[in-house]
Amino acid sequence: MKFLPNSKQTAAEPLLVFQISPREEALLLATLRLFPMLENAYHRVSKDPKTAAPAVQRLLEDSMSQLRAAHSRKLDELFRAPQRYFKDAPGERRLVLTAPQLEWLLQVLNDIRVGSWVRLGCPELEQARSVELTRLNARALHVMAICGEFQMALLDAVK
Amino acid sequence: MSLKVVLPSHLSAEARFSGLAPIAQSRYSLAMSQSAAPVTVPHTDQEQQTRSKDQPDRGYLVIAWNDPVNLMDYVTHVFQVVFRWPKARAERHMLQVHQTGKSLLVRETFEKAEHYVHQLQAYGLQATMERDQ
Repeated sequence: MKFLPNSKQTAAEPLLVFQISPREEALLLATLRLFPMLENAYHRVSKDPKTAAPAVQRLLEDSMSQLRAAHSRKLDELFRAPQRYFKDAPGERRLVLTAPQLEWLLQVLNDIRVGSWVRLGCPELEQARSVELTRLNARALHVMAICGEFQMALLDAVK
Repeated sequence: MSLKVVLPSHLSAEARFSGLAPIAQSRYSLAMSQSAAPVTVPHTDQEQQTRSKDQPDRGYLVIAWNDPVNLMDYVTHVFQVVFRWPKARAERHMLQVHQTGKSLLVRETFEKAEHYVHQLQAYGLQATMERDQ
């Protein structure tokens, strides 16, 4: 996937256009179907038990839960009507996003990436290279790498 | 002896994610004088708000912690979006997190610090709020 900085703008809202191959499109959609991966309990509001009063911690978890629900609803829309995001252009396929949609995709992909890392046992990256591969953790490592690649491509558009 | 009870209570209108209800913040203080007769001290919300604005308790630190999973460019981008920082400043904090394990991002009131922590964690960063000792 590659950001096209000089793509033609016809909409009132600036659009971010990416060249994407059919295989990348299928891979992106399959990856997004893994969302959500992080659990609410992953989020800690503070390291200090006094600051992290149960109500304050619960508010953070509720907030993350609602955010994930909103992300999931948008993902359902994407899965139902991918043509709203993926467009045909002469000789190529394009992913077209607004700025808020880009932020949404970044958050979703990062949830999947961090969630995969958590399932691996939160290893240091050096350790991850020496992790004994099983079917499960090989998949998690693969998903982490895929999310990272898509995230970097999306970030190219906001640099 | 008189007992003056001040019960300031206000709702934070701070925008939160996903339409969460604002937090009700209540603070209570007791003040005593040596006067024998009870004294009624007029108290208005406006006075209370003025004092709150004059002396905000910006004693909460928002700290980003290092982790090996979030991409450096991603962390820089998140700091730019959440704090509206220029790229150079966002990168400086990102590198501090990467090299020293953490970075103090802002010192804020409880409500604002909490708001920032929610935003940072929405992006999957490890960020917490800590009381400044």
